[in-house]
Amino acid sequence: MDDDLPTEYDVIVVGTGMTESIVAAAASRIGKRVLHLDSNEYYGGLWATFNFDGFQKWMEDLKISKHDSKDFKPDLENGETFLKASNQYSTVENIAEEWFISHEADLPLVLTKDTQTDGSNDTSSLTTEKTDEDKNDKKETKHWSVDRIKKEYRRFNIDLAPKLLYARGELVELLISSNIARYAEFRAVSRVATCMDGKLIQVPCSRADVFANKTVSVIEKRMLMKLLTSCMDQGADSPEFDGYHDKTFLEYLNTKNLTPIVNHYVMQAIAMSTDKTSCRDGVNRTKHFLNSLGRYGNTPFLWPMYGSGELPQCFCRLCAVFGGVYCLKRHLDGVVVSEDKCKAILTGKQRLSLEHLVVGQGHLPPEIVASTGENQISRGIFITDRSIMQGEKENLTLLYYPPEESDQEAVTVIELGPSTNACPQGLFMVHMTCKRTKTAQEDLAYVVKRFLCAKTLESNVSRTPTDSHTQTVATDQHQAQEGDKGANEGTIENPMPQVLWSLYLNLPASDIKLNESAPSNIHLCSGPDLDLDFDFAVNQAKEIFKAMYPSEDFLPRAPDPEEIILEGEEIPGPKFEGDNTSGENEKQDAEKAEKEE
Amino acid sequence: MSSSGPENLMGAASSDDGFDYLFKIVLIGDCGTGKTCIVQKFRSGNFIQRHGFTIGVDFSMKTVLVDGKRVKLQIWDTAGQERFRTITQSYYRSANGVILVYDITKRSTFLSLQRWIDEIRRYTSSHVLLILVGNKCDLEEAREVKSSEAETVCEYLPEVFRNVETSAKENTNIDSIFFCLASELKRRHENRQINTDESGTVKLGNGRNLSTCSMCSYKLS
Repeated sequence: MDDDLPTEYDVIVVGTGMTESIVAAAASRIGKRVLHLDSNEYYGGLWATFNFDGFQKWMEDLKISKHDSKDFKPDLENGETFLKASNQYSTVENIAEEWFISHEADLPLVLTKDTQTDGSNDTSSLTTEKTDEDKNDKKETKHWSVDRIKKEYRRFNIDLAPKLLYARGELVELLISSNIARYAEFRAVSRVATCMDGKLIQVPCSRADVFANKTVSVIEKRMLMKLLTSCMDQGADSPEFDGYHDKTFLEYLNTKNLTPIVNHYVMQAIAMSTDKTSCRDGVNRTKHFLNSLGRYGNTPFLWPMYGSGELPQCFCRLCAVFGGVYCLKRHLDGVVVSEDKCKAILTGKQRLSLEHLVVGQGHLPPEIVASTGENQISRGIFITDRSIMQGEKENLTLLYYPPEESDQEAVTVIELGPSTNACPQGLFMVHMTCKRTKTAQEDLAYVVKRFLCAKTLESNVSRTPTDSHTQTVATDQHQAQEGDKGANEGTIENPMPQVLWSLYLNLPASDIKLNESAPSNIHLCSGPDLDLDFDFAVNQAKEIFKAMYPSEDFLPRAPDPEEIILEGEEIPGPKFEGDNTSGENEKQDAEKAEKEE
Repeated sequence: MSSSGPENLMGAASSDDGFDYLFKIVLIGDCGTGKTCIVQKFRSGNFIQRHGFTIGVDFSMKTVLVDGKRVKLQIWDTAGQERFRTITQSYYRSANGVILVYDITKRSTFLSLQRWIDEIRRYTSSHVLLILVGNKCDLEEAREVKSSEAETVCEYLPEVFRNVETSAKENTNIDSIFFCLASELKRRHENRQINTDESGTVKLGNGRNLSTCSMCSYKLS
């Protein structure tokens, strides 16, 4: 295939992360000539979502150093300097992968109720069915093995940077106003959980939930409603919060004479605050949370189907629909700078000229970087065999877990079930995210220990499969082991989820800044940040767009297909070459098609 | 509205006409094989000979009648992203049918089929209905791919439901491929061979269609 790209653009975007993709779409939408490159063969960079196989490949590729040391001297004109692109700001560290289950061999088959009456010695027919995964799922439940997970790799969607959307957050509003929403599907987060006295409970979010909740007294309910209403109606600038501007949210709440349980709900679940969170931040988060309630579901949050990595691709699609040129597996060699302007990029022997360069942090020349950033991210990803909090139906759960000790960081936990396409039936995918202090594994250890059983599962231990979500308490060996701990804490009723596979990694900081020598037409896009939502990326994209095209509309609504009239097409259109029989053909074709059935 | 699922697939416009089923069809294949022409011919009866790449075309909607049921096809074009083989995975998501197009007058487009099949296998569900289309069969004198070759290839591709040659220019078999997709998807949906259960998924929108969505019916603003 001809790999030569056209050589002149208004905007060249390097990297297909969230910010980059939004900017690319916005520029293309107003008619700019856009080229969008990515050195990877997939979209999203550090925002990507992979299936299980893709994830393994991603880790393999990280081991191979991408630093190509070939020092090539490009042809430059007078006064031009060449700055070589570097991937040092997208370094993923401390990857630790571990399996807690066996390979296929020696695993007994476990039959579900449906087939048990047939007799468990009828293994021959089961073996022959093995090839057909879908049938298998319905008829019998095998133990999950390494081989089985690898074989069903397509049914996993693993996020590098899992993020939720507030139902009235920046991204939802942007998706709707730009009409990009048609490219994506979501699921509502079905419950917000909080950990109280060592026990996970669901936080009542809606008015109905609050009043149906039995753990809160009527007086507490009134208290909670009153507080929430004042945050909602007035916001942080209200006189209500005068005198708390330099105080913490906790200090403000303490003046309200709330009961501990109400205080806990507001602090940890609704405002997702620690005792260091400022009053302003706390009130604003509470307001954001309440504003988004009731739009799409029981909680204020939405999760993108197939993972967060879908969303950058939706913007890329819009960019392409409006003429943006896409090229993956295309490496940025470096940028050509002259008189404080970036004039061109060099990629794969081509020199491509541009007005603006929008570049992800993974491709920046070190010469123009001021600081490497401080807020690095610790991530943990776990495939488990049951929910951290058994419910009557499959749930999509958000849990904010504040630090237990002063040297720990608050951890955000998102648990995804099969209906999000994150994993097959019978499994769950748990994502943990926090600010990095040590390694990801060390940072997250205290939360993992509390909610998950990350011990190697002996192959001879029969663990009750969980096809239903309302499973009765299983008495297996693992439970007995955990029993001591559970008894000590006196709280955990269900067996802890067994981890089948875990992965820890540290993502780079998202607060990298350019220095003053950076040409003004180079625009930096950060990688995934620590926030729960995408608002940081959306706002950064808006700022970049405004810097490039101050007087233009940012992603005006794209027309629906019905509104587009192509050149040469009129409605009702003249038939091709006076062909009046196409209606006839249609009918005949319809009949033909029916006969073929 | 007879079925519970497919309506939810679309939160977009065209709420004017009702339909009984809605299926998403994606077109793929090398650049210049005539994918956009096929869609345009089917949608409006026009053959627009354009040069260059597909710009501004996102997807098209057309409702066909099968056994008295209105089957609405949402037909997605590649937006030129196939040019450097950079189609987004999300393009394939929740596709019910795939039309894989090659150009009978350009052998390289036929030789690319395997790579497209690999991509379909990677990104679509295992129940996707695939039709292989050799386009431009009006240009018999320039033919580089024999129809028997396509038949042979299909023996090794069990997912290909039908293999057909078309001409968007002369309107050969164009309507037929879409009716074939519509009727087979309808049949499979009725027999529950394909899962279009979208319950609980949320489409963002101006609230136009959301009221039909089971999860979000209780509160709309």
